[in-house]
Amino acid sequence: MTVSPSIPTFPGRILEVTLPAGPGGSPVVVGGQNALPLLPEGDHPHAPAVGMEIRTGPEELPPALAEVIGPFSGNPAALAQKCVSGWGARFLFLSLSGCNPDAGGQGVQDGAAIVREVLAATATPVIVGGCGDEDVDGRLFPAVAEAATRPVFLSYAEEKNYRLVAGAALAYGHGVVSWSPIDINIAKQINLLLADLGFPGERVLIDPLTGGLGYGLEYTYSIVERVRLAGLSGDAMLARPILCHLGDAWKAREASDASEPGWGDSALRGRRWEEATGLACLAAGADLLVCRHPENVKRLSEAAWR
Amino acid sequence: MHEPLFSACIRGAGAVLSLARTTLDGVQARRGKDAPLAYPETAYELPVAFGLTELRVTTLSGAGAVLDLARTLIREGATAENAMDAGAATLLAADVLGALSHENGNPYPPPSVGFVPDSVLRKLGIFMVDGSVPGVAVVIGNAADPAAAAAMVRHFQEIGLLVFLAGEVTGQMGAQGVKLGEDFKTFPLGPLPAVIHAVNFAVRAGLTFGGIGRGQAQAMLSYLGNRVKAFVCALGPLDDVALAIAAGAMKAGLTVLADEAVPEIPGLLLSRPAGEEMALAGMEARGIKVKWVKLPVPIAFGPAFEGERIRKSDTHVEFGGGRSAAFELVRMSPPEEVRDREITVSGTDLRGLPKGTILPLAIVVRVAGSRMQKDFESVLERRIHRIVNYGEGTMHVAQRDTTWIRISTEAVEKGFTLSDLGMMLYAKLHADFENIVDKVAVTILTREKDVAAGLSEARAAYAERDARARTLTDDAVSEFYSCTLCQSFAPNHVCIVSPERLGLCGAINWLDGKAGFEITPTGPNQPVEKGAVLDPVKGAFGGINDFVRQHSRNTVREMNLYSIMDAPMTSCGCFECILAIIPEANGVMAVNREFAGQETPCGMGFSTLAGSVGGGVQTPGFMGVGKHYLLSRKFLGAEGGLARVVWMTKEMKEQLGPALRERAAEIGIPDLVDKIADETVAVTPEQLVSHMETVGHPALSLPPLL
Ligand code: SF4
Ligand SMILES: [Zn+2]
Repeated sequence: MTVSPSIPTFPGRILEVTLPAGPGGSPVVVGGQNALPLLPEGDHPHAPAVGMEIRTGPEELPPALAEVIGPFSGNPAALAQKCVSGWGARFLFLSLSGCNPDAGGQGVQDGAAIVREVLAATATPVIVGGCGDEDVDGRLFPAVAEAATRPVFLSYAEEKNYRLVAGAALAYGHGVVSWSPIDINIAKQINLLLADLGFPGERVLIDPLTGGLGYGLEYTYSIVERVRLAGLSGDAMLARPILCHLGDAWKAREASDASEPGWGDSALRGRRWEEATGLACLAAGADLLVCRHPENVKRLSEAAWR
Repeated sequence: MHEPLFSACIRGAGAVLSLARTTLDGVQARRGKDAPLAYPETAYELPVAFGLTELRVTTLSGAGAVLDLARTLIREGATAENAMDAGAATLLAADVLGALSHENGNPYPPPSVGFVPDSVLRKLGIFMVDGSVPGVAVVIGNAADPAAAAAMVRHFQEIGLLVFLAGEVTGQMGAQGVKLGEDFKTFPLGPLPAVIHAVNFAVRAGLTFGGIGRGQAQAMLSYLGNRVKAFVCALGPLDDVALAIAAGAMKAGLTVLADEAVPEIPGLLLSRPAGEEMALAGMEARGIKVKWVKLPVPIAFGPAFEGERIRKSDTHVEFGGGRSAAFELVRMSPPEEVRDREITVSGTDLRGLPKGTILPLAIVVRVAGSRMQKDFESVLERRIHRIVNYGEGTMHVAQRDTTWIRISTEAVEKGFTLSDLGMMLYAKLHADFENIVDKVAVTILTREKDVAAGLSEARAAYAERDARARTLTDDAVSEFYSCTLCQSFAPNHVCIVSPERLGLCGAINWLDGKAGFEITPTGPNQPVEKGAVLDPVKGAFGGINDFVRQHSRNTVREMNLYSIMDAPMTSCGCFECILAIIPEANGVMAVNREFAGQETPCGMGFSTLAGSVGGGVQTPGFMGVGKHYLLSRKFLGAEGGLARVVWMTKEMKEQLGPALRERAAEIGIPDLVDKIADETVAVTPEQLVSHMETVGHPALSLPPLL
């Protein structure tokens, strides 16, 4: 007996979004698909893109990362160059974590200066992340938006601050990453609110909050899937490219704890932990992955074959 | 009576236009028609022309084309339309004049700034989008009382408005010591004609932040009218030119307030004395609301204290709770009868009272708002409970005329007073219902006779409200409301909230849904058209089915509002009680969340049942509901209504109280409540059936459930 599988077709299409590059760099274009990820059917004009995170604040790196990015600590511009030309990152996610009062406490102007340095050091598309302190971010985003010498994406706009972040992005022509705490309704609402402000949809990405393997990945997986299905089913507010930030994968003890020899080589473990998280996100429908381990840029890019 | 005004606007427009023409001709004669013309530091050429016309202006001759177009907008005939168009012409011409005057940069002596560059616009615009700059005040003319005008401008600065000054008032404010400059978001533009830089600032805000392109005049006007919350304060006598500029502002939907007598145009042109009254009228006309960053009360305030109980030994003063007369009431009133932020306390206040004092209390909150509805009174009133509990040292129980409030000794020691209580209510009601209320005033009374008098008025209001609630039926309304709040954990769950079936959590009724939608139009409560009535008994509606299908992402294809057996509503997890069928008894049982026992006729306690019912799936035969749904006329219509209930926990019977008996009487079975078994009578199907046979429970003679 032959069974012919029913191939679903969808009425919707994910909006194409371009992360602009500087002169001589390659922009990253994502979105444009009208089908589920990785499947042979449908149009997939752009494969998912893998980028790397650069953090500005002091932190104790897990063993797997200490080896490779440790030497660049305190030098975001050099790390940026290495990520792009050495490791093949197609975009950079610059977290201004150093501006958090609890983590370095750099001034807002220092943060803005770092953004300028990184933009000068590479022509690759850049997403700039806040420091996570509501107060500081309220000053940081406008400063970064003004300082950025070319269009970037600001991450992130959530229910509380979306007006400020969107305002800063509108003022200087940047894009925004809309964030929601693993909740499809809030994801939709924040995109509606941005649209209400008149923010152009082709400059918005969705960050559904990515939990690492063993720490909520299954919730993220399901939300990414549902956001994508809703988008493909015609919900314009959710028909946007999805960004999964794999940073949380490193928060798992299994990814970083070297004191458990029974769990195997800690460096390999950490790398694999991030990779597994990234693969799941790709399968669920992520268009952009932000990872921290150089090796995973390669491995995840290979997996993101369409 | 507006004709003279309109004529003046048209005359003024003509005057500005001819001045612009003569000036342009002069410059052209000197520099040639191809000489460049631009404001310094802007990407938007001559912004007014950029925003309102298709014309590209980079040279003097380009500016000539703008003036030609402006000329066509000036028509004879003293009508409102002609006056407004003349106003638009004035703005176009004034922007040409403005640009010409900036040939060598800012033409005015300090502190006047002239044209405000894009870089400042971008910086400030962020805060306009963000809402931390809640609006824009343009103050022009010559103040008769500079001190009053200065007080008004300082008030604008305090609430964070962006302020532009043009005319003599610029110098007057400087002389009054008003702080000027970017740091104070107050821009002295220059003499009266420089007011055009406030206009081109607003237009550029639309171009930069409103996503509006060149020449999209309609979109621009609507952006200026709806998004830029700006108003003009015109001080001193208004000549033709000032009136023409004002007409331009009105064309863009801005409100103009004059301190001289003018024939008013509602919403657009008002006459008010300079000072607080003008400020309030301008802000009200443009819907500018002030947000409180921190409440000015001596105790901490926030959700963290919501669960705090104040024990008797910590109580300093107590109101109501059966110990004294007390009530709370929210009333909608016409805007002219409510003075925003008016907090009145009459009678004894807390200071100096001995510990253990019991006082009568009346809390009457009057609210007004263009989108306020009488139906929302109860929604706001119930919020009082939460607001009072947010205070550290204030506790609130119950509602209406059963309210019970305790204030702790610690709070009284910190200096907490009843006006602080009023402040909490004022500020939080404003914040929580921002989209609904524009004005809130609170009156608190503690004199026996005042409270007694108020109480009878309040009871009349409650009765009226209850009567209205009885007319709100599922059959009478055309829209129900959705609630999808619980999708965060039950991904495909959709509550449909109708007048006669509240959300299964018991916290959201139809009016809450309606208010919720007004407050957050993009939020979890959306109006849902009932659409075609497919089956009135089961509660099958075309529109509801479509909505549920779409919002459950195709997993729930049909949902009958009044049935437990046939496509029942899904259950998320927060149901107040669970209904489950007992096939042997041909009926349903009801068990409430608080019931800790494991023994029920279906063999499962609440928690075990909850595990199998929740998650947002349809489980025929099982359903989570809000307790009060049992009292509804639409309760299980498909299965025969309340007569189907064969077992209910004792606690639930008590909670539903006399209302349950009334409802039983209404369906003609006054002794039904006694026939319904509880855990003391039956915990197995066999015991249940034998009890039912003994008492003659009506479910036995209903059609078989299965
Ligand atoms: S249970 Fe309550 S909060 Fe949850 S969806 Fe239903 S009505 Fe909304
Ligand atoms: Zn729920």
